[in-house]
Amino acid sequence: MRLQSVFLSGLLLTGAPAAAQTPDPASADPGDWLTYSGQYHSQRHSLLKEINTANVHTLQARWVYHMTGQKDLEATPIVANGVMYISQYNRIDAIDAATGNVIWQFQRQPIATGAQRGTGFWNNKLFVTTSDKHLVALDARNGSVLWDVAVEGGLQLVGQAPLIVKGKVIVSGNQPHGFIQAYDAETGKHLWSWSPIPADDDPALASWGGQKPDGMPIWVSGSYDPELNLIYYGTGQPEPQWAGEGRKGDNLYSDCIVALDADTGKLRWWYQNTPHDTHDYDSLEMPVLVDAPWKGKPRKLLMQANRNGYFYILDRTNGEFLQATPFVSKIDWTRGIDAKGHATPDPAHDPSVQGTTTCPSTAGATNWPSPTYDPQLKMFYVVAQEGCGVNLRDTARNYAGTGYLESPEPGKSWQLYTRALDAFTGRKVWDYEQVTSHHYGPGLMSTAGGIVFSPEEFGQFTALDSKTGKVLWHFNTGDVITASPVSYSVNGRQYVAIISSSNVFAFGLPDDRKKP
Amino acid sequence: MLVAVTVAMLASGARAQTSNPFTGNAAGVDEGRSLYNDTCTRCHGANGAAGEFGPGLAIPGRSYARNTDAEIFTAIKQGIPGTVMPAHQGKLSDEQIWKITAYVKGLRGTAIDAPAPGDVVHGEAVFWGKGQCGTCHMIHGRGGIVGPDLSNLAGLRKTNSIIDALTREQHRVYGPGGAQPHTLTPLPTYPVVRVTTADGVTVRGVLRNEDSFSMQILGLDEKLHLVDRSRLKNVVYEPRSLMPTDYDKRLSKDEFGDLVAFLTRLGEPPPPSQPPVRMPGKDPD
Repeated sequence: MRLQSVFLSGLLLTGAPAAAQTPDPASADPGDWLTYSGQYHSQRHSLLKEINTANVHTLQARWVYHMTGQKDLEATPIVANGVMYISQYNRIDAIDAATGNVIWQFQRQPIATGAQRGTGFWNNKLFVTTSDKHLVALDARNGSVLWDVAVEGGLQLVGQAPLIVKGKVIVSGNQPHGFIQAYDAETGKHLWSWSPIPADDDPALASWGGQKPDGMPIWVSGSYDPELNLIYYGTGQPEPQWAGEGRKGDNLYSDCIVALDADTGKLRWWYQNTPHDTHDYDSLEMPVLVDAPWKGKPRKLLMQANRNGYFYILDRTNGEFLQATPFVSKIDWTRGIDAKGHATPDPAHDPSVQGTTTCPSTAGATNWPSPTYDPQLKMFYVVAQEGCGVNLRDTARNYAGTGYLESPEPGKSWQLYTRALDAFTGRKVWDYEQVTSHHYGPGLMSTAGGIVFSPEEFGQFTALDSKTGKVLWHFNTGDVITASPVSYSVNGRQYVAIISSSNVFAFGLPDDRKKP
Repeated sequence: MLVAVTVAMLASGARAQTSNPFTGNAAGVDEGRSLYNDTCTRCHGANGAAGEFGPGLAIPGRSYARNTDAEIFTAIKQGIPGTVMPAHQGKLSDEQIWKITAYVKGLRGTAIDAPAPGDVVHGEAVFWGKGQCGTCHMIHGRGGIVGPDLSNLAGLRKTNSIIDALTREQHRVYGPGGAQPHTLTPLPTYPVVRVTTADGVTVRGVLRNEDSFSMQILGLDEKLHLVDRSRLKNVVYEPRSLMPTDYDKRLSKDEFGDLVAFLTRLGEPPPPSQPPVRMPGKDPD
């Protein structure tokens, strides 16, 4: 029996593409999940379809792995050559993706917890962001350290899953202000750095009303177009976060989608979703790259469901604004978006001492949890959060702080939905209400099997029909889910995995071979 | 006298100062609030509720890793290794950090720390008698089970919050702001639901938990009803809580004041955090 399965796996491996030993995120082997969003275009759409609408009701847990000493994991598992890699700051566990048995563990001291969202795989290497301002490369076979470098400039990297493109490890951070850096994946050598702070000779500097630009954290991974050789990232909110009177103007390059040359880190174009932000509408939501006709002409598009409540479509070759449509029921922070895509904020919704109700809330119409795009159905699925928030501030000083409260309407706290949009009109096709889930929520994944896998904050892992949103299957994982699901295959068997707090669950169809 | 001692300690340059010179100093605490707003809210949120990146520093009922003034002071000054909490040494003076510490500690206080004045014995009589509070609420094993157990009410809630619950319609305890939950818990509120099964049986009660597929209801019949949504014909979420909110009108001024005096003494201050205990057993070491 054992011999047979070894033979079978060997057979399948030799039958796989030649790159199987060192899979590349640019290749489209659906059996692996090599980067945060699965592939560079970040569609999060698995081409696997062994699990489909006809049999998903029989889905069962195949194994569970507990990552000791951890909680609240936000990592997307990375899967390459039948091995799954689960990450945290300073930590990676490698497990057999078919059985859940641990193969090796890497723990750099100290044990850390925090919002770390995954590792990246490249040429049999994995990359770890540390809590002490280092970047480390491990050998994916045994967890040995291949190189360990101090982060350029002595900066702290955030938990953004490293994006590996053309042999470069792309990482980012928030302090002292947002930045993106690239390192050579083979040696750890620093290659370039970019910051959304405009340079002294950049006309964008005038968009700060004389104040020194500040803020703009970059804390989620981006996407990559190999043909254009551009990486796409979102940037965060300007500082001071809630007080805009000292920074009159649009405050570039805050709350932007930016396209950088992958080789040099030079800014090629930008589009600003939220000019002069006073509500913390970071543009860190995943930019999804789609090649499709737009008004009859084939175009390279970029789609993003933004925290500010609009679903955007841009031309990703040059950043041209094509369309913005609301994807939540109420938006009042802006007076509107003009034909060129420039939004004018409504100062009546600036934070105030008594509290200003603004829609969407600061937590956003959506947030970092990933959306997914089904290229067959041409549907965009997003975790949408309905509800408004109260922004407070202390007027004593420009830098005066504040916070935000839950929905002020009694009995109407925020509510999360798994929402299907027609990707080209932005029209809502269906909604699935995630009962009891109110904050951010986990991310989504669609599959060629016609399913949207929709984990819920309060532990349910649910399979929805991609066309209708109908519930086909669900499983209570028993803990809070703040991560995104992935799918992969080992020996021809499809698995769907999700991390729930500190436990990794892998689901598959019943194993008929074990039946008497 | 205390002030003099503290000043003397400061003057002597005591290396490991553990007492907070601004405890109970209204101006210092207020300045601490302002410094907190400038420095801490971005991660920790306003008013001690949790923010986007950091935990809530003053959420009633939760336990903290750092309880003493010295522990909080050290965490602010030196940061917390292994987390994104940065050190503020060099950015804030020790005096400023003590003020923030005093503000955070003040946020954490509950009713039991400063109980309302009044006739407690009379207040208890009102609770079980004219107020009819015991119909829904239990104290140390006596009373109803549909509402929250109040045995430790004053150890969990502030006096203002208790008075609001008795007098304000749609009173609700604000949740932890924009933070995600870290554990699965029963519902923090007691929403009223009425469900009807396919067989035509109606159950009314408070919802203790629910998801897209099931509901866990504590019925007004004091029985647990564990319900599969797919077997329900009808679900109604009632807009109002079962809790009356006119106690300042249905009770006399003295009765109300004495009831508050009683309620603000229910419970004990939270114990300081302690390391986990390993109990003796048969585990081979």
